[in-house]
Amino acid sequence: MTLLRATGLTAGYGPVTVLDGIDIEVNEGEIVVVLGANGAGKTTMMRSISGTIPRQGIIEFEGRSIQKATTDSIVRGGIVQVPQGRGTFPELSVADNLLAGAFVRRDGTKAIEDDIAKWYSLFPRLGERAMQRAGSLSGGEQQMLAIARALMSRPKLLLCDEPSMGLAPLITRELFKVIERLNRDEGLSVLLVEQNANLAMRIASRVYLLETGVIVASGSAAELSADDSIRKAYLGF
Amino acid sequence: MELFLQRLVDGFSEGSVYALIALGLVIIYRGTGHLNFAQGEMALFSTYVVYQFGEWGIPIGIAVIMGMGVGFALGAVTEVAIVRPVSKKSPFAVFIVTIGLFQLLNWLDGAIWGGQQLPNTGVGSKQVRFPSLFPSKPTDFVTIFGANIKIQSLGVIALVAVLTVVLFTVFNHTRLGLAMRAVAANGESAKLVGIRTGRVLMASWGLAAAIGALGGVVFAGINTNVNLGLMFTVFIYASAAATLGGFDSPGGAVIGGFSIGLIQNMAAGYAPKWVGQEMKVGVAFLVMLGVLLFRPSGLFGSSRVERV
Amino acid sequence: MTPLFSIKSGGPASWTIRVACALVLAYVLLWIPTSGSNSLIDTATTALTLMGAALALNLLHGFTGQISLGHSAFFGIGTYTTAVFVTRWGWSPLTTLPVAFAVAFVVGAAVSLPALRIKGVYLALVTLALAVVFPQFIKWPKIAWLTGGARGLTDTGFKFDKDNRTFELFGWNPWGNLRGENVKPFYYWIAVMIVVIVYLICRGLVKSRVGRSLIAIRDNSTAAAVMGVNLPVTKGLVFGLSAAMCALPGCLTAMKGTVTPDTALLTAIGSITFLIVMVVGGAGTLWGPIIGAIVFQFITEKTGDWADPKEIPSALRPIFSWSDVAPAGGIFALALIVLMFTAPHGLAGLWKRVTVRFVSVVPKPAGSSTVDERNVNDKP
Repeated sequence: MTLLRATGLTAGYGPVTVLDGIDIEVNEGEIVVVLGANGAGKTTMMRSISGTIPRQGIIEFEGRSIQKATTDSIVRGGIVQVPQGRGTFPELSVADNLLAGAFVRRDGTKAIEDDIAKWYSLFPRLGERAMQRAGSLSGGEQQMLAIARALMSRPKLLLCDEPSMGLAPLITRELFKVIERLNRDEGLSVLLVEQNANLAMRIASRVYLLETGVIVASGSAAELSADDSIRKAYLGF
Repeated sequence: MELFLQRLVDGFSEGSVYALIALGLVIIYRGTGHLNFAQGEMALFSTYVVYQFGEWGIPIGIAVIMGMGVGFALGAVTEVAIVRPVSKKSPFAVFIVTIGLFQLLNWLDGAIWGGQQLPNTGVGSKQVRFPSLFPSKPTDFVTIFGANIKIQSLGVIALVAVLTVVLFTVFNHTRLGLAMRAVAANGESAKLVGIRTGRVLMASWGLAAAIGALGGVVFAGINTNVNLGLMFTVFIYASAAATLGGFDSPGGAVIGGFSIGLIQNMAAGYAPKWVGQEMKVGVAFLVMLGVLLFRPSGLFGSSRVERV
Repeated sequence: MTPLFSIKSGGPASWTIRVACALVLAYVLLWIPTSGSNSLIDTATTALTLMGAALALNLLHGFTGQISLGHSAFFGIGTYTTAVFVTRWGWSPLTTLPVAFAVAFVVGAAVSLPALRIKGVYLALVTLALAVVFPQFIKWPKIAWLTGGARGLTDTGFKFDKDNRTFELFGWNPWGNLRGENVKPFYYWIAVMIVVIVYLICRGLVKSRVGRSLIAIRDNSTAAAVMGVNLPVTKGLVFGLSAAMCALPGCLTAMKGTVTPDTALLTAIGSITFLIVMVVGGAGTLWGPIIGAIVFQFITEKTGDWADPKEIPSALRPIFSWSDVAPAGGIFALALIVLMFTAPHGLAGLWKRVTVRFVSVVPKPAGSSTVDERNVNDKP
C-alpha cells in the first residue's frame, strides 16, 4: 500500500527553484533511499515533505493530501523527520529530548515512559547518559538520540536526512543496522536521503537518484547496481 | 547590626522588583533571542491599567491579576504582530521596533493617565497614588534581631520567591515549559517534533510581560507613586541583573536581581559620600560593564550568550 | 522599467545638478536668518543641533554596525565642557569646541574598548545605561562643585556687551551680533558651522580608503581582519570620532547661556531622539540624518500646540483631541515601528527607491580615476 506519494513536487527558496517537479513514492514497509550529491535538493525535498517550507505539487500521505498541512499536523499524522546534522536540543537532557519527541502524543505518561525505556534498551548508551546534556554527546550518540526522539512519536514514516554525515564508518554501519532492524521488526517505513551510496544501498528496497532537483533514475538497488553507466557515474563503485 | 539587617532586607525587596523585570527580559531572550527594550514600559503600562481598575472599584488583588492578563495580551500581540514579521528583516529592525514600542507606550501612558510631559525632563507632571499589595502603613513592621522590618518588604520578597518556584515548576515539569525550552534550544527541531513554535513564542512574550506587570505593580506599591519615568532606571537595574545572572538563565535573573538590589543598597548606605542616591545607577552601570568585560556569559548563563 | 533619464557620474549633467542644489541650499541658509522670524531661526538652530548629533550617530552605525544609545552622554560632555571652561576659566565659548571634541573623543574611545567584546545588543544596553548615568553623574556631590549639580550653571555662553563689535556688509547683517539684541542668527550660524564640520568629516571618511575598509568590517569582521584591518583600533577610532562629533552640537546648547543636567537632550531621551532622527531620515546615508532632523523638528513644532484641541486642524481633530498631551512623541514612536515594516531605510531610502525608477546614474568606467565615484552614499 502506498504510504507517501509525491507528484510534481516543487520547492525552492525565494527566486531559486531547487526541487523541480519530482515524483516519489514510499510504500508501507519499504526503506526507500534517495541518493544525490551536494545541492541536488535532498534536504529541500525533506523539508517539503515535513512542511517546513512552502511547496507546490501533489503530496499525499495515506491517500490524503498534505500539501497545505502545517508541520505540526504532519507530525501528528505520522511523518517524522530526523534532520540533517542531528537537530538535537543541545541544552536539554537526553531524557528531555525524548520527552519532547513525544510531544504530540496523547496516550498518557505511562505509555511514554515505557517507550523511553524501550529505546534505552535498544540504545544502551543513551540510557547511561539519560541526564546528560544532549550537546555533550558524541556525534554517533546524538544521531541515535535524534532517531530515538523521532521514534518517540510512533511515526508511520521516518524521514532521515543524511544520517551518516560526520560519522565514522563503523558507527554509520551500526546506524544502518538499527534502521534495518526497526524496519524489519517494527514495520517502520523509512525514506532515507544520503550521499554515502555504499551502505545505504545495502538496506534499500528501492532507490531514487536525485540530481539538481530532478529524479534521473529509479529502481531497486540491484537494478541500479547492475546498470554500468549509472553505477560508475553516480554510485562510485 | 539592626541597620545592616534593615539594609539587607531593603536591598532584597528592591531587588525583587529587579528580579521580576529581569525574569521577563531573560524569558524573552532565551525563548526568542531578542532583547525587549520595551520591557519596563510594558510593565508601566500594565501598572497604570491596574491603577485604572482600582479607580473603577476593583479590589487590588483582582486588579493585579487582571493587569497581569492585560500584560500577557500586550506581550503576545507584540510578538506576533510586530516583532515576528520584523525579525525576518534584520536584528536592527527588531531593536528599532522595541525602542519605538518603548517610546509609544510611555507616550500612551502620558496621554491617557499622566498628563503633560514636563518640557525639560522626561517625567510626567502628574503623579498617581498607587496602593500597595501588602500592608504598608508605617505601623506594619516586625522586629527581627532588633531591626524594624517592613511587612511589605517581606511580602515582596516572599512573592518573588514563590513566583520563582512556580516558574521553575512550569519550565521543568510541564508540557508548555518543555515546549518553551525546546524552542529556545532549537527552533527548527521544535517544529519537527510537532511543537507549534509560533504559539510558544507568543506565550514567551506574554509570560514575560505578565511577570513584568507584577514587577511594575510591586514597585509602584513600594514607591507609592507612579509617574512616567518610574521604569527608566528600573529597566537599567533589571538589565544589569540579567547581565550579572546570565541572559539565558531565569534563575540567574532572580539571583542577579537580588544581588543588584543588595549591592545598590549596601553601597548607598555604607558609602553615602561616594555613592549616595545619585550614583546608585552608576553602580549598576559598573557592574554591567564589569560582567561584560570579564565574564560575558554572566554567573549562570551559557557561553552561547557571549557570541561576539 | 527603464529609467527616463540617465546621468553620467562626473559628467556635465551631474555637475549642473550639484551646483543647482548648492545654490538652493545657500539661498535657504541665508534666507532663514535674514528674512525668517525669530522662532524660525530658533527652530532651524534646533534642527541643526539634532542634525549634527544624528550624523554622528549615523557614522558609528553606518561604519561599524554598532548601535549606541549613549550619545546623549557625549552630547552632554560637549555641553558641560563648554559650560565649565567658560564659567570656571573664562574661556571664550568658541574656543572650547576643540576641547570638547577631544574630551568626548577620549571618552568615546574608552567606552568602545569593552564594546569590542560585546555583542551588538548588549552594547546598546550598556550605552543606554551610560546615558542614564550621565545626568546623575553631573548631579553627583563629588563633581557638583565643578558642574553646578542639579541646579546647573548659568552664564555659560557669550558675554553680551552693548559695545561689542558688529560686522556689516554694506548694511547687511545676516549673522546677528553679540550686543545682546540680535543673537539668534549668531547661534544659527554656529550650528551651521558645526553641521558642516561634522558632515565634511563624515563624507571624507566615507569616501576614503579607510572608510571603505570600515564598511567591510561592518559586513564581515572575519574577512576584514584577515585582510589586515586592525579591528580594535579602527572600531575605537570610529567610536571616538562619533562621540566627538556628537559633542559639538552639545557645546552650542551651552553657548545659549544656561545648562542643567535634566535637559531632555542630555538624558536617555536625547539618545532616543537622535536615534529617531537617524532612522526616520535614513540610517546609512549621509543626507538621511539631515532630512530626518528637518522633518522631526518640523513635525514637533507643528504639533506642539496640539495639546490644545483648538489648535488642531479640524480634519485631524478626531484623531488627536482625546488627549491633552502633545502628539509628537507618539507620532514618532509609531513612525519607528511602521518604518521598519515599510521603509527600513527611512525617508532617504524611500527617495532612492522612487528616483531609481526615473534616473539612473552611470558610473565612471573602472580605472578612470583613483577615487571611485560610485558610492552608496553618493548624492549632492
